[in-house]
Amino acid sequence: MDNPLFTIDPGLFIWSIIIFLLVLLILKRYAWTPLLDFIDEREKEISDSLAMAESAKADLEKIKDESEKILDEAKKQGKVIVGDSKQKAEQSANNILNKAQEKSNEFLVDAKSKIDLEKKRAIKEIKEEVVELSLDLASQVLQRNVKDDDNNKFIQSSLKAVKTDEAKS
Amino acid sequence: MLIDKTDTSHSKDPADVAIDHVANSYDHILLHLPSFGVFDFSITKHVFLLILVGFITVSSMVFLVQRYISSRTKVPGKTMNFIEMIILYIRENVLKSFIGEKHYKDWDALVYTIFFFVLIGNFLGLIPIFDLLGFINYLAGGIPVVKDLIHGGNTVTANINLNFALATITFCAFTIAGIKKYGFFHHWKNLAPAGLAWPLYFIVVPIEVMAMLIRPISLTLRLAGNMMGGHLALIIFTQIFIIEIAKNYGIFAALGGSIFSVSLSIGVILLEIIVAFIQAYVFALLTAVYIGMAVNVDH
Repeated sequence: MDNPLFTIDPGLFIWSIIIFLLVLLILKRYAWTPLLDFIDEREKEISDSLAMAESAKADLEKIKDESEKILDEAKKQGKVIVGDSKQKAEQSANNILNKAQEKSNEFLVDAKSKIDLEKKRAIKEIKEEVVELSLDLASQVLQRNVKDDDNNKFIQSSLKAVKTDEAKS
Repeated sequence: MLIDKTDTSHSKDPADVAIDHVANSYDHILLHLPSFGVFDFSITKHVFLLILVGFITVSSMVFLVQRYISSRTKVPGKTMNFIEMIILYIRENVLKSFIGEKHYKDWDALVYTIFFFVLIGNFLGLIPIFDLLGFINYLAGGIPVVKDLIHGGNTVTANINLNFALATITFCAFTIAGIKKYGFFHHWKNLAPAGLAWPLYFIVVPIEVMAMLIRPISLTLRLAGNMMGGHLALIIFTQIFIIEIAKNYGIFAALGGSIFSVSLSIGVILLEIIVAFIQAYVFALLTAVYIGMAVNVDH
């Protein structure tokens, strides 16, 4: 072929093959293999991360469900505890009230018996005072001292009279 | 596309100037090396260009990839992002689709290298570096090495010898792929479909052999024709067009015509950028398709 555009040039052909193969070997060793490994690794990382994210999402859902269950359980237990405490508090309040009531009753009974006792003693003292006054009065009326026997007789009869009065009253 | 003062080609026909521009030339050898029969290993301008394309391809790719891999952030820059996009696109839409998931990893490096080698070869032809050298040579009044460099073509992928070498590598690749998968004899048996009536084999086998042999030739001529066509169009619009107008209608008419020719040339260059990408992709795609046809005979 005379046309320079289509001249067969075996030298250039061999040069082309040598240079291209050299380029291919260098690029395969230092560019394509490291780059493709890097891309594969990155894709694996991405897919792993996605899988991890999926499992984390599932775990999160699970944890959410569990926490809801725990929360419900806690609410129920709380209600039970509050109910129990309320009951116990009511019970102990009732106990305290009852005890207080009992104690006040005891105080009342005690006070009553003490009052009765004091009353009786006072009455007795008054009676004795009355007897003595009566005796003094009688001595002054009779202008003499009543003998001891008389005294005693009088006292006895007076006491009887008082007792009968008391019994009557 | 300036012509130096010492060059005699300006006295030639403009068409010869255009052809000189895209063809290899042994008239201006950069470095004389021994010849073995028809194999002249001297460094011509196209061999120099080829070495330059190889050097740019290797240095740029290795630099970008190594910087990306060793970076702490593992975030690609704009250029690396673009390269990675191409790599992933080819892997998903070409390698996996045509060669298949099982075998594509054996041939991915070849397909990527063909794509980037052809792409950089095509693009280097679009950058008027040798025209700048020509301008420097013109101003300096002729520098020996520079004077030799500006002769011949400046798009190495427009040269059929380089393209045929790449196509030969593709041919070897799909033959090796087939033999590796099916064994030597079975691979050649795959050329003709099984189950035909035996007389038909006398027709089918020669057709299939021709189809197989025509593949590297079609790869060669497709790339060479596309790259050459664009450059010839550029030369016609910027040189021949202006020269003819100047010859017939004078220098002022040529100046007026240059406005038209420059705008047309810009359009052609933009088209050539697209063609550069498409042709690199087509070469890589067809390599993958042929390898795929050799390893997936059942499909």
